[in-house]
Amino acid sequence: MSLLVQLALMLCMAAPALPESGPIEKIKARGHLLWGSDAEGGAPYVFPDPKDPSRLIGFEVDLAEAIARELGVTARQSQNAWDSLIPALERGDFDMVINGIEITPQRQEKALFSLPYYIYSEQLVVRKDNKDINSIEDLRGKKVGTLSGTVAQEILTKKEGIDIRIYPGQVQPYEDLAIGRIDAVLLDLAIAAYYGETNPKVKYTGQPVGEGHYGIAVRKEDKDLKEAIDKVIARLSSTGELRKIYEKWDLWDNNQERLAEKVKAAEGYVGIDESKKAPLYTFLPLLAKGAGITILISSVSMLFAIILGLVLTIARLYGTALLSRLATAYIEIYRGTPLLIQLYILYYGLPNIGISLSPIIAAFLGLGMNYAAYEAELYRAGICAVPKGQMEAALSLGMSKALAVRRIILPQALRIALPGVTNDFIALFKDSSLVSIIAMVELTKTYSILAASTLRFFEFGLVVALLYLLMSYPLSLLARRLEKRLKGERK
Amino acid sequence: MISVTGLHKHYGENHLFKGLGLEVKRGEVVVLIGPSGSGKSTLLRCITALESFQGGKVIVDGIEVHPENEKKDRDYAENIRRVRLKVGMVFQQFNLFPHMTVLENIIEAPSKVLGLKKEDLKAQAKSLLKRINLENKTMSYPAELSGGEQQRVAIIRALAMKPEAMLFDEPTSSLDPEMVGEVLSVITGLVNDGMTSVIATHEMGFAREVADRIVVFDKGEIIEEGAPDDIFLRPRLQRTRAFLSRVNG
Repeated sequence: MSLLVQLALMLCMAAPALPESGPIEKIKARGHLLWGSDAEGGAPYVFPDPKDPSRLIGFEVDLAEAIARELGVTARQSQNAWDSLIPALERGDFDMVINGIEITPQRQEKALFSLPYYIYSEQLVVRKDNKDINSIEDLRGKKVGTLSGTVAQEILTKKEGIDIRIYPGQVQPYEDLAIGRIDAVLLDLAIAAYYGETNPKVKYTGQPVGEGHYGIAVRKEDKDLKEAIDKVIARLSSTGELRKIYEKWDLWDNNQERLAEKVKAAEGYVGIDESKKAPLYTFLPLLAKGAGITILISSVSMLFAIILGLVLTIARLYGTALLSRLATAYIEIYRGTPLLIQLYILYYGLPNIGISLSPIIAAFLGLGMNYAAYEAELYRAGICAVPKGQMEAALSLGMSKALAVRRIILPQALRIALPGVTNDFIALFKDSSLVSIIAMVELTKTYSILAASTLRFFEFGLVVALLYLLMSYPLSLLARRLEKRLKGERK
Repeated sequence: MISVTGLHKHYGENHLFKGLGLEVKRGEVVVLIGPSGSGKSTLLRCITALESFQGGKVIVDGIEVHPENEKKDRDYAENIRRVRLKVGMVFQQFNLFPHMTVLENIIEAPSKVLGLKKEDLKAQAKSLLKRINLENKTMSYPAELSGGEQQRVAIIRALAMKPEAMLFDEPTSSLDPEMVGEVLSVITGLVNDGMTSVIATHEMGFAREVADRIVVFDKGEIIEEGAPDDIFLRPRLQRTRAFLSRVNG
């Protein structure tokens, strides 16, 4: 009976008024602290243990565990793409984010940041034999690699005339630098230390720039949690435990020594001034450029796919036994493996055997070779749908088989295949976003960069979706008109 | 002109022709009759090498085609092409090219295969179309024509290659009854001009009218042949009589 009364009371009372409902209490009741990060981001932050890849290690794993321990619970990592960690936090997917999140004013609008736990700076890395790049000022006209949505990218964007190459992970820029695809890489010192310094072909150049702070992000309303985390960081800093963690990961430097004082009177962000509250139209030139590249990549790839598909079909249906088998094998392999893997092999794999393609050529080839397999199957279906009597009539008129195929069979087969080809073209438009993994900044990549740096996922998402629709819809209309015209001939 | 000797044709397990022979003289009109599946169409298709055969030979105007030649022999492809240039073929299903206009259907092969001038071919095609009262359909697509019109265009298309003989493979079997007449009258006109023809048909009245010789097929064999009056009025075999009484209802 008394239990029922208690329940009724609880229901009547406004829930937030209860001290039991705070974020810390929730975590304690749950028994574990959920922290979000992207293990794809890599060392030394959060990455799979090479000895046991099912386990995550990294200095941020140690930090999260130390914080959890102080709160009397265990830490549990939640995997999320780095670009969208903050939105996922807002959505309530986890309690906090620890993942090299730079404290910036625009992020502070979306989330509450703890005291900084690490001072980062951006280190410029070039090839060993390079002599003319000594600082950021020397980068005009150079190809410079960095990661999407980072402060390093913002620094580069501010400078005029730099050819910025955006990468999805931190390994690839250094690899591309080593083989000469790009001239320099600007990334956080911690990343440079792990991936740049260990590469014998590259070296640091100039002093680190763009100093700033990593902070732990929590939801804006979770002030209690922020305060608790601040206390933990202060304690870890004063007891030397933080230093131990950094020394373990070889991250301890003068900057971190200064951090101890900063923690006492943290002023927050001291990095780059930025105003990302700009109206939407100021981003339109960037989006238009991304859309242009999407159109370029899709059109050239599709043209290539159409031609190669035709060659494959003819080899398969009319070629010698060997040619036919090769064409069939090509089609099966390209249809049966993911486009993403094909792109990776083409762009990051081929340099291993001495073939280095530029991003745009790799994009044309990768998409074109993949779609050629689908086009070939469409044409084959089209050819098979042409009645047998057509070939017989052509042959009995004295035409050679080649002439009959070219003049009589293919024109009919292509008309039959046309709706499928148009459909593939529209699909290719959207698949072209995959080439962002080979450092091509097309429309989707432009979106994720802009959205990540402004955190305006919603409005940019709508704008970009609209742009895609504006590009693909006229294509549908054109195809419909073509089909109608062709139908007139056969009725 | 056309000579078929000792022809063997297998369809998998089925042995259709067991040493078939047929001679067609220049200017002669031979009509093949017999039940469906008796081998009339197959014989025509073997003559133009649309169908391969396993024994015997086909000679068209001195050009020999052997089954042995099928593999390795370089002349095989050339020989069947030369044969196809000598004999035109008209199909049951018309087989006009649907993506081309009537005019394009007619001039395609002569211009691409024989390399003749398009202007001359067009003028020629138009006068041929005029003769069969289709001059107003020059720019139509096949789908816009009736079955009878399509088959008449198909005949003109074959004639545009200036063949020395014509093969007709049941040219009216896919037509509505009211269109049969217009097609048969075109063929009759052609035959009267002296075109060497081999015609497979179920139109017995027409067969009797145009044929110099009737050849009766049954189960892959020629069971009886002779002048039209002999076959239709005085058939020797019971099998021929049975077939004729069936088709005459």
